[in-house]
Amino acid sequence: MTMKEDLSAFFKDVHWLMDILQNIDAGLVVMNRKYQIELWNNFMQNHSGRVPEDALGKTIFEIFPELPRSWFERKAESVFVLHNATFTTWEQRPYLFRFPHYRPITGTAPHMYQNSTIIPLVDTRGNVEHICLIVYDVTDTAVNKIAQQQAHKQLQELSRIDHLTGLYNRGFWESRLIQEFKRFDRYQLNSTLVMFDIDHFKKVNDTYGHTVGDDVIREVSRALRSQLRDLDIAGRYGGEEFGVILTGTTAEGAAVFAERLRNTIENLVVHSEGQEVKFTISLGINQLDESTPDHRAWIEKADQALYQSKEGGRNRYTIF
Amino acid sequence: MTRSLLTEDQRDCLQEITNVAMGQAGDRLARLLDVFVILSIPHVSVLKPTDIVMALQALNRESEEPIFGVCQGFIGGGLAGEAMLIFNNTDFDDLARLLKYEPSEDIQARNELLMDTANVLNGACLKGLAEQLDTHFSFGPPMLLGQHCNITDLVQSNSMRWNEALVVEINYSIENHRINCDLLLVIAEQSLAGLIEKLNYMLD
Repeated sequence: MTMKEDLSAFFKDVHWLMDILQNIDAGLVVMNRKYQIELWNNFMQNHSGRVPEDALGKTIFEIFPELPRSWFERKAESVFVLHNATFTTWEQRPYLFRFPHYRPITGTAPHMYQNSTIIPLVDTRGNVEHICLIVYDVTDTAVNKIAQQQAHKQLQELSRIDHLTGLYNRGFWESRLIQEFKRFDRYQLNSTLVMFDIDHFKKVNDTYGHTVGDDVIREVSRALRSQLRDLDIAGRYGGEEFGVILTGTTAEGAAVFAERLRNTIENLVVHSEGQEVKFTISLGINQLDESTPDHRAWIEKADQALYQSKEGGRNRYTIF
Repeated sequence: MTRSLLTEDQRDCLQEITNVAMGQAGDRLARLLDVFVILSIPHVSVLKPTDIVMALQALNRESEEPIFGVCQGFIGGGLAGEAMLIFNNTDFDDLARLLKYEPSEDIQARNELLMDTANVLNGACLKGLAEQLDTHFSFGPPMLLGQHCNITDLVQSNSMRWNEALVVEINYSIENHRINCDLLLVIAEQSLAGLIEKLNYMLD
């Protein structure tokens, strides 16, 4: 092969390689030690709207002021020092460069989600004076994953919530009760359980029908929810029985809560199916202490107090 | 004990070259982080999928705190595997200070810290190993175990498509910092050919 043929073959190879680099569906940016841009491929040009003449020679931070400098330098430093590629994922940082999403029909996100890799470019003497940033468009993957996570979360919520009242269902509420019991076991933080039910609920159902009964339960839950604090845990324990765990609260504090709720319900008028229904609740309170061996015993104590309220004439609370 | 995967000589040779590789890794890390990194002598063994699951479960039990692990695939020179870094007894604020990150309560920031740490430690060690074997590895992005699922759910023995794997175990700790992690290089039996060839070449 002549020298000339050799050279032309070499140029053909380089030409091909450049074509590939320019047209590959990933962003390529070569930077030097000062983060000045030395290569800027089509992907970067098209998505950023900056032509190479504009980008080359400028630092990446001038072109993308939104790129956090210290964060990026820290990543890149390990590539320069260790000659070791480094990665960013959309889960940690949704994007490096804010490229608006460009597909009007199948575009699913306001911006492009990006994964990226920074690789060292080793020169002939074995030094790394340049790094190459490779940017991948992972919007579709990210959007699918996020949708999946949301669906999962919704399912989880659904499996925890009682349909009628919007409170926790019995299963999930009991698991929270167990957790709270264990927390007390370890840290001895105050925690008080309030159990209550609707007085003569069977009579409400028999007199007005189940639709009205359901409305009564719903209104009680609404009144209860409006009086809960952030850390209180309320659940529907049975048909017309409710449980509330008041974290960080003593029996005295719970009594204030119970009295307020009792008073609210006593003054509540439920309008349902053209009827006006008034009713009351009875409550039992028990503050957790060392004498309670497990969470079942805790419920039992609050239930016993509730029973005493019933015996004592209803529409009242009792502390165990 | 390495049973059938490697001969005694091959195992000794591997232990030797990983030891050299770790020396280089320690040197690189010292330059990047400006601290003295204490590396254990690599321990080479053969494990079954159930052993790996049990090891993870044991880690899970020992501590009340959740353990964190990061996996990263590597491939090159007829050899392929996965590096798994497990953070045992690590103070994340201390780790953040060491890597010059802002200490943060944010979970995403902590995850990024873990992945970057794993990438740096894995990279340092595997780069040394690749040099010793006169090859070059490609790396996949690091993946945080337990981000989407429980660590032991993820590593189910019945979903692993191998019977035996060569495992090189290295313990890292960093002087004057509460940072301690185990690095496991797991190389499944079907991905060993290139390594054995290289080891035999060195032994000749």
